[in-house]
Amino acid sequence: MKLSRRDLFIYAGGSAAGALLTPAPWRLITDTALWSENWPGIPAPPRGEIRTRFTNCSLCRAGCAVRARCVGDQPVQLAGVAAHPLSRGALCPFGLTGHHLPFHPARLKQGSAEQALGAVSAAISDAGSGRIAVLDLRPGRTVSWTYRRAMAKLNGLYIAPGQSVAYDLHQAKTVLSLGVPLLDGWGTPGNVWAARPGFRLIQAEPIQSRTAALADVWLPVQPGTEDTLALAIANAIENRNGDDERAVSVANELTQNGPALVLDNYGSAAVMALNQSLGAAGHTMVAMPEAPVPDTWRKAAPATSLAQMEDRSIGVLLIDESAVDGYLPWHTIEPKLVRDNPVVVTFASGRGGYARHAQFALPAGVYPEFAEDIPTAVDSPAATFRISTPLVAPPAGMVNPAGFIGALAGLPKSDAVRERADAIHRAGRGTLFTPADAKTVAVRDITAEAFWKSLSEAGCWIDEAGNTQAPEAQPPESEPWPSGSGGLVAILSAQHTPPLMSPLMSKVYQESNLRLAPNWIALHPSDARAARLENGAEAFLQTRLGKCGVRVAVDPAVPAGMVQVGTAPGILDVCGPAARAKVVAV
Amino acid sequence: MLTALGAGWGGLPFALYRSRPQPVGFSHRVHAGEAGSKCDDCHGFRSDGSFTGIPTLDKCAGCHAAAMGTTAAEKNFIDNYITPRREPQWAAYARQPENVYFSHIAHVKRGKLKCESCHAGHGSTGQLRPYQEDRISGYSRDIWRGKKMTDCVACHLQQGLEHSCLDCHK
Repeated sequence: MKLSRRDLFIYAGGSAAGALLTPAPWRLITDTALWSENWPGIPAPPRGEIRTRFTNCSLCRAGCAVRARCVGDQPVQLAGVAAHPLSRGALCPFGLTGHHLPFHPARLKQGSAEQALGAVSAAISDAGSGRIAVLDLRPGRTVSWTYRRAMAKLNGLYIAPGQSVAYDLHQAKTVLSLGVPLLDGWGTPGNVWAARPGFRLIQAEPIQSRTAALADVWLPVQPGTEDTLALAIANAIENRNGDDERAVSVANELTQNGPALVLDNYGSAAVMALNQSLGAAGHTMVAMPEAPVPDTWRKAAPATSLAQMEDRSIGVLLIDESAVDGYLPWHTIEPKLVRDNPVVVTFASGRGGYARHAQFALPAGVYPEFAEDIPTAVDSPAATFRISTPLVAPPAGMVNPAGFIGALAGLPKSDAVRERADAIHRAGRGTLFTPADAKTVAVRDITAEAFWKSLSEAGCWIDEAGNTQAPEAQPPESEPWPSGSGGLVAILSAQHTPPLMSPLMSKVYQESNLRLAPNWIALHPSDARAARLENGAEAFLQTRLGKCGVRVAVDPAVPAGMVQVGTAPGILDVCGPAARAKVVAV
Repeated sequence: MLTALGAGWGGLPFALYRSRPQPVGFSHRVHAGEAGSKCDDCHGFRSDGSFTGIPTLDKCAGCHAAAMGTTAAEKNFIDNYITPRREPQWAAYARQPENVYFSHIAHVKRGKLKCESCHAGHGSTGQLRPYQEDRISGYSRDIWRGKKMTDCVACHLQQGLEHSCLDCHK
């Protein structure tokens, strides 16, 4: 039989049509897709021995205990430790996804420590270039003492804007919270929720936050009037009466259902005085306790606040933002720097914070890559000492801030965390909880070696109860934000947000508006309409200090005439509490 | 067209899959029947709840340190694996792609599903069938021939259980 060209076309067409009626082409498409999943360079879950390791989360000073499920050396799942006396098995969404952070795409990975060291050394040797200072955004750590010792040797300043007060919620029967996100990341989540059934919560806040929604009473207040409310309540307590009915009602509740406690975000003098009059000082409100340190460390520079410093006096500023509990707006720092060529070096995990203003941004390790102790939490009246034990190795090129600053001052190299652990053991007080066996022992019953071994395996030392030291009033970090007029009144989100958060968490947690993302603002629908903005639109937030690019969420829960702003450093640089702000479309 | 249909339906399985025998002639029927073992005697859970999957040599050696019967398969197993302490390179029929996570304990302990619900009569087979590996993707043929994602979803719908992408796809 002779095959014609037409026959070949018919044969080929028939074969193609027939092939489409078989699984072959569809199977090949699927298999090719699956094959591409395993190309070199595409990450794959590790295979290996499954084991459990323990650490303490260092994303905030709550320092919750963490049980990590590891495959080989790779942590693949984090969970709480139920028997832990402080964190009680709870982890916040940041903590649950902390093991993603070493792989964060926005992570700072490069920076020349040698160049920075050269510039700093040159500035120090230049007598006319101002003093050296360290800004420590999480004071109370062992590295904080290293900074203080280094500054003492270099005649420098140690700036620490941290928490100076600790609270005992378990002793309180009534809590008045002035905008504090008490039930949303303020303290140790497990500890706060364990204490919650024991106190009545009055939440005074401009917006019905999640804490306000879960409080017994929500008092809507104008942004920036929290101190006024505190003064009115103090007045009502003192005079047994007053003009402000709401303040009188709260005063009666605080005095009749004690012990009472008043919390605020800024440690204002009015709130401190109110706590004094309620008898909270030295009882439910105590001076922030700290774990013992070696006696030789005591010759260290004292903590200074920005407000106490002379303007244009700092020539070299070293900022440790590898662990962050708060953020000082740049406009409060900049006036303290000398006018001519100040050297600013920041140790950071990302470029979003002070790296925007620094000559040198040096990459620092992120949780859970490095060993570091965690200072006592705000809701712990007894001192604690925990170490965030590394679960993964840091990548090459990371700079250790304590090593950098210690070398600058010529401090001898030593294991400072171990030295401090020995000092705690020598003090012989308190108890030690070990997560692996969930046992608690008295420190005096174990050797220094056993104490260190347990701490290295995420053990938690808790000092004896009985801290009755009343806190001292602290000077404010900066001048109060001028109230001004016109525009929208800013409500600052008070929740703590780490510099880096898991991209997966931000996907499921923030894009669904469960929590305002750091670079977002929220507007009432009428204000959004007036500004011609839709949900998700890009806009500028403008204040007298400048403007910042933001994304807009339209939220009817935000009162008209107000704007709720996120906690991104870019926003905090231009916008403070109760600031007057405008929102304009891009 | 007929040629293509024949090749596609009849020839594809031979061309696409590579067969290889399991290292040891193992009878689930003997172990589950005559020996009276239960599934979780060998395929159990670790203390953290993770599934052990195919047992390691240590588990087998617990019973077969010395011969329990007279079969050639057992003698071969003891001589070639138990005595030299050589781990058999079992091929797991149901190993899922790396982006799929399946929790056995959630289904067996909380959902109270029987093993047979998903693994059908695998526990009563007299011998292990050859493992068929997809030449292109490298995965077992069973992940497509056995239970598929649509089966998981159908069961969850039938039971009135919630399900979402991130439950299984990490």
